[in-house]
Amino acid sequence: MKETDSKPAEELEKPPFFKNWKSMYWLVLGNLAFLITLFYIITRIYS
Amino acid sequence: MRLLDWIVLLGTLGFIVIYGVWKTRGSKDIEGYLKGDNSMKWWTIGLSIMATQASAITFLSTPGQAYEDGMRFVQFYFGLPIAMVIISITVIPIFYRLKVYTAYEYLESRFDLKTRSLAALLFLVQRGLAAGITIYAPAIILSTILGWNLTLTNLFIGVLVIVYTVSGGTKAVSVTQKQQMAVMMGGMLVAGFMVVRYLPESVSFGDAVAVAGKMGKMNVVDFSFDWNDRYNFWSGMTGGLFLALSYFGTDQSQVARYLGGKSVGESRLGLLFNGLLKIPMQFIILFIGVMVFVFYQFNQPPLFFNESAKDKVYATEFAPEMEALEEQHTALFNQKQEAVHGLVAALRTDDETAIAAAQAEVQGITDASKVVRNDVKALIAKATPDAETKDTDYVFISFVMKYLPAGLVGLLLAVIFSAAMSSTASELNALASTTVVDIYKRSVKKEKDNFHYLRASRVFTAAWGALAIIFATYASLLDNLIQAVNIIGSIFYGTILGIFLVAFYVRYIKGHAVFIAALMAEAVVLYCHFYTDIAFLWFNVIGCVAVVVFGVIIQFFIGQKDDRTYA
Repeated sequence: MKETDSKPAEELEKPPFFKNWKSMYWLVLGNLAFLITLFYIITRIYS
Repeated sequence: MRLLDWIVLLGTLGFIVIYGVWKTRGSKDIEGYLKGDNSMKWWTIGLSIMATQASAITFLSTPGQAYEDGMRFVQFYFGLPIAMVIISITVIPIFYRLKVYTAYEYLESRFDLKTRSLAALLFLVQRGLAAGITIYAPAIILSTILGWNLTLTNLFIGVLVIVYTVSGGTKAVSVTQKQQMAVMMGGMLVAGFMVVRYLPESVSFGDAVAVAGKMGKMNVVDFSFDWNDRYNFWSGMTGGLFLALSYFGTDQSQVARYLGGKSVGESRLGLLFNGLLKIPMQFIILFIGVMVFVFYQFNQPPLFFNESAKDKVYATEFAPEMEALEEQHTALFNQKQEAVHGLVAALRTDDETAIAAAQAEVQGITDASKVVRNDVKALIAKATPDAETKDTDYVFISFVMKYLPAGLVGLLLAVIFSAAMSSTASELNALASTTVVDIYKRSVKKEKDNFHYLRASRVFTAAWGALAIIFATYASLLDNLIQAVNIIGSIFYGTILGIFLVAFYVRYIKGHAVFIAALMAEAVVLYCHFYTDIAFLWFNVIGCVAVVVFGVIIQFFIGQKDDRTYA
């Protein structure tokens, strides 16, 4: 049996732009890391 | 307010309400009314989630907070994107699989009816009170600044919301929130552009940011750990995550937004959209507050931003003291003008010694101004003991009213009304759906037809709306009401979160155990409230942890006899 066969239907629904949901989640977490880094740089430059 | 402002304000709000009613007319069943026929696309869900969270106080208070305290409040939202990912992975698939209308419905399949009813009742008490405050909080500020009648302002907000929420249900809430978000963000960006434009010609945008930085307002991230510091990286990543999980995962006013999605994928994308944009949005609002701060370094700010409270002192025997403080305030501002221009000049030279000297001079005058402002607050409290001495909520609206041109004032007021309406609409919709689905349909009138429950949903939406208006109208009779509602919220929120935490992640605990644990946890929280000095924000943690700990202990003694199947 294929691995996908045992997954519930909602897991099979693909997100836009990415092949799977894991990549979408990494985008959100990566964006958070980018924003924190950017804010840290702003804090350092202007303090 | 000028005629053009009235046209913009009433035109914007009127369009949104009429569009909402027209676009969602003809809901024929409870599925359509409470879940929008599961037809919502991800961008509608995302905007709706953001609009629900952004109340009028967000747009009134946040710039004021930045004016007073700088950018660091943005750290409060650092846990939110992580919460969006966790909810997308764990919560959404379960809710969709069970086809629930409310979050509490899930608790019956996971535990039992009594646990579901308990969580629903706790939510209704807490959110019912909050809906009144969502209307009252902006109404009191707008009526103070604009001289409007408070009761009429409450009625204006409440009735507009009731019209389209009763008519179109959850779909009307989401559809109107798209327009409301556009008005909110558009209006705030215009305000931000205007405040930068109003800076003196000799001061560039770069100078403005540099001045803000040297005056301690560009403190966006702070990695130092301090229990007593409310906003730093660590409190944002832990407390912010905890709050976001409870708010987006268990509060029906948010859960209803993503339950109306076309599919699991659309709901997930809606939440992740919020996870991507919420922090930049808060950053922009805070930055506008910082720019207002810089603007007031070159233009004399009011001595006290709630001028109505200050004017009341002039009608008392303390008027001469207030006049003396006004004079000190003006003298300090004139002194500061030279110092701030000196700081701008020093910053352009890149000469660290000159910058440090200019910064110290500006800081010295700023500290002296703070002393004067504290004296004003003390005088207001002495002359009019009932007056509110915190004026940060008035900073932004005071700037808008005094400096923005005709038309833009109306637009910014439309921003505040839109924010009040969007969050109130979600609350009324959530209160009605929880009342009908979790209490009325489940335990009061079980065997009625679909049309009966649709009519009941409309009646309960209107009833909760009327209750919110009544509560908002009489809110001013109570002291520290906003804090009182926050305390009530904290008393119940921890227990609700604890129940859901057990439901999702602690499979060992079953129905009887979690119900008894929830009652015991609530008793512990109530004991803490009435008999200890513990700060009320900790009630959220205490209630949640107590449900889990008591649940494990009780389940251990009960044994694994409960054979209810898990979702």
